[in-house]
This record gives sequence, structure tokens and C-alpha cells, in this order.
Amino acid sequence: MGKIIALAKKELHGYFSTPIAYLMLIAMLSVFNIFFYMIISQNKEVSLRDIFQIMEFMFIFLVPLLTMKLFSEEKSTGTMEFLLTAPLTPSMLVLGKYLGIMTFFTILIGMTIIYYVIVEYFGSPDPISILSGYVGIWLEGAFFIAIGLLTSSWARNQIIAAMMSYIILFLLYFSSSFTQYFTGTVETFLIQLSTRTHLENFATGIITPSDITYYLSGILLCLVLTRLSIDNRLWQ
Amino acid sequence: MIIVDNIVKNFGFFQALDHVSFEISKGDIVGFLGKNGAGKTTLMRILTSFLAPSSGKVIIDGDDIAKNALAIRQKIGYLPETPPLYNNMTVESYLKFAAQIKGVAANKQRIQLAKVIEECHLEQVKHKTIATLSKGYKQRVGIAQAIIHEPKLLILDEPTSGLDPIQVQQVLALIKNQREQRTVILSTHNLTEIEKIAHRVLIIKSGRIIIDQSLNVLLKEKNGMHALSQAEPQSQSATLEQIFINLHQLDSSQETNGLTQHKTRQQVTNG
Repeated sequence: MGKIIALAKKELHGYFSTPIAYLMLIAMLSVFNIFFYMIISQNKEVSLRDIFQIMEFMFIFLVPLLTMKLFSEEKSTGTMEFLLTAPLTPSMLVLGKYLGIMTFFTILIGMTIIYYVIVEYFGSPDPISILSGYVGIWLEGAFFIAIGLLTSSWARNQIIAAMMSYIILFLLYFSSSFTQYFTGTVETFLIQLSTRTHLENFATGIITPSDITYYLSGILLCLVLTRLSIDNRLWQ
Repeated sequence: MIIVDNIVKNFGFFQALDHVSFEISKGDIVGFLGKNGAGKTTLMRILTSFLAPSSGKVIIDGDDIAKNALAIRQKIGYLPETPPLYNNMTVESYLKFAAQIKGVAANKQRIQLAKVIEECHLEQVKHKTIATLSKGYKQRVGIAQAIIHEPKLLILDEPTSGLDPIQVQQVLALIKNQREQRTVILSTHNLTEIEKIAHRVLIIKSGRIIIDQSLNVLLKEKNGMHALSQAEPQSQSATLEQIFINLHQLDSSQETNGLTQHKTRQQVTNG
């Protein structure tokens, strides 16, 4: 566990030792603030449902920028050789990096709790639906990050890693938009595949085992594939 | 300490290593010599378990690399050709990170950190960001990370590449100090360096070991250069260089640079 925490700390330090982390935090929070103001002033609702959906859409653009360097940079600078010849298992490496970036992501999500404080001050929002919305958006970010981690393990070039993430995330997000061309099982599959379907439930205060299973299995699948990708690199 | 048995490594249709076998005893300093692309780095990467051999067996300190790679990595310190450094970290934080991932016990990390900083003469730069260091210092930080967990085997891939003569001397002195504590394998293009620190030389050509001998024997036996090997250091270096070039000229005379041959002949004559 000590090695995983050391890797996570190194990853977190990598974000905060450059202006990139601060710029991203400022940019994302600024965008969220603008939408928060627009939604609240337009809807006059003490709810964060719409803001969660805006966050979800923004994460499609943010997450690949955050994750593209995770393994790609290690490969291009030669530090991957250092990590893979240290007494670390590929699982430790994957979990360490994932924990590091998830900590950064949790800080970002944590900074939006101010929205709850604001709506609580001006009205009586349903705390359960806001809490479930936060759980949903956190799980969604964790899933997106796991996808970014996987594509980063495939590429040496950060831009290529980010492009692959964008393709996968857009397909996942918009898969429910293709239902007009299909019927029956395919239509149901596309609806269930879409991240929008699952976040919507969380954002309205409904937590179902199937939604949690969707995110957790997606995260697990990506982490296992990342581990295999590294293992394959090691023993090629 | 190390048993390499019939190692073959293929990259697609290209055979990088062709049935390589050798043994290295504890406490030896062994130099890998060979042209670029001869297979030195591939062999080192297999020894560090970064790459798996296509066939063959490697046993390090009693552990089979295919079965117990993690235990072997704990016993190895490795400096790749490009020092694996994180430019945004300070020397101290990088070495601390290296100690943590290499399993140095939490209560010993501070002691080990101080020890390698002193051993590698990094006191003056320990708080500096790695990006701001000279190449010589970066190389020393690379060696420091390789020895921070007290490995039994130290593997250095071209540790003096790209350094100025003073930095080369400093790095060589550092490696020389390691030989009392651990087995050392290094590769280099600079034959003079090998002569200064190695006990034994493995010359690799097209993925095969063509010479595996103690340095003294090699210098005495090959090309009837016994007299030269007893002479001053400059002559010895010319002799090893001559042997090296002669071996590579056997079936690839067109590849060898004529200017180098001329220069070498001149050195031998002058010596």
C-alpha cells in the first residue's frame, strides 16, 4: 500500500508543480460558475440537477486533458523503464496513478460544494437528490478517468492518447442519440451504454444498483485492461 | 550471482540476441562492449526484467527471472541509457520517491537518502529542481536512485555517455566505489573507461557474445600484444580498441569507418 500511495503522491505533485492544475481548476470552476448562475437565474429552482449534467458534458473535454500524460509521458521521457524495473507490480502502478488523479478530481468536485451552500442559503433543496447527484458525478468522473488512463497506456504520444479518449467518451455520451436508427435490443443496449442515462437517475435523486454496477464495472474493466496493456508491454 | 543460459530475443523477424550464455560471479565488474545495435541494451533490459527473453533462462542470486521478477528487481539497481528523472521534482523528493517505490523501510529512508546524497556528491543540489541540473549531476542522480535500496547488482547502460571529461572521471570514480559492495555490469563505447574499472569484458556482436574474457587475459593474448598490455595506460587503451575493431571487421569491413581504423593504427604505432 505504501508504494501505491507514493505513486499517487508523485502523480499529484506532478499536477500541482506546474500551472496546468491551477489553470484547469480555475477554467473549470469559471465555466461551472457561469452555468450555475445562468441555470439558477433562469429556472429559479433550488436544485443542482442541470448543473450536474453540465458538469458531465464538461468532463468529456476536461478528463482527456488530465489523463493524457499519465502513461504517455512516462513512456516518452523514459521514466517508464524506471517504474517497470522497480519492485512494483503493474497493478500497483495502475492503482497508484489512478489514486493520484482521482484525488485531484475529488478536489475539483469538492470545490463545487459551494453551489449546494448557495442553494441551501436561498431555499430548501432536497439534500438526498444533491448527495446522489454528487455520488453520480464522482462515479462518472472516475469512469472517464479510468478510460483516459487506459488510452494513455496505449500511446507514447499524449495528443494521440487524448484523441482516443475523446472518441470513446463521445461515443459513450452520445450513444443514446443513435436510438432513432435502431429498435429492440440494440436500442436498449445503446440507451444503457450511454453515460447520460445513468447520470440522469443520480441527478434526480435515484440511486439504483444497475447504475452503480454500470460505473463500477466500467471502471474495473478499464483498470484491468490498463494493467494488461502494461503487462503486455513488459513481456513482449 | 548471475547465470544467463541460452537467451534468445526476437523482435518480430529481427533476432536481437542469439543464444547468449554467460555467468557472472559476485563482486565482479563486467563491461559489455559492442557497436550500436549489437544487443547490449536488450541484454541489460532482460537482466532487469524489463523485457522477457523469447527463450532461455536467467537466474539472478538464485531466483529465476521468469518466475520471480519482483524479487529480482528488489536486488537490482538499474540506470538506463537516458537517466529516468522527473524534471519537475527536486533531487531530494525524487530520491525519496525512488526509495519508497523500491521498498526501503520507512524508518530507513532518511538514512539511505543521506547516504546516497553523500556518496554521489549531491549535497549542493539536493534542493534543486532536476530540470536545472547539469548533465553530470543528472547522471549522478540517476546512479543515486539505482543504489538507494542497496541492490546486490548494479546495471548501468552507458553511464558516461555525453559527459565532459571531468564529469566522466567523477562518474567512473563513483562506479569504482561500488565494486566493494555489489556486482556491477556496465556498457560503454569508451574502451578506456572499461579498462579503468572492469575486471572482465563481454564483447557482443550481432546479438552474440564473441569474446568473454578477463580484461588482463584479453589484452595479453589477443594480437600478440603482451608487451603493449604491460606498457602505459594509453597503449593499453589502444590495444583494446584495436582488438574491438578487428573483431568487428571480420565480416563487416565495409561498415567500419576508415578514419577510425587509421586513427587506431596511429595510436598503436605511437603507443
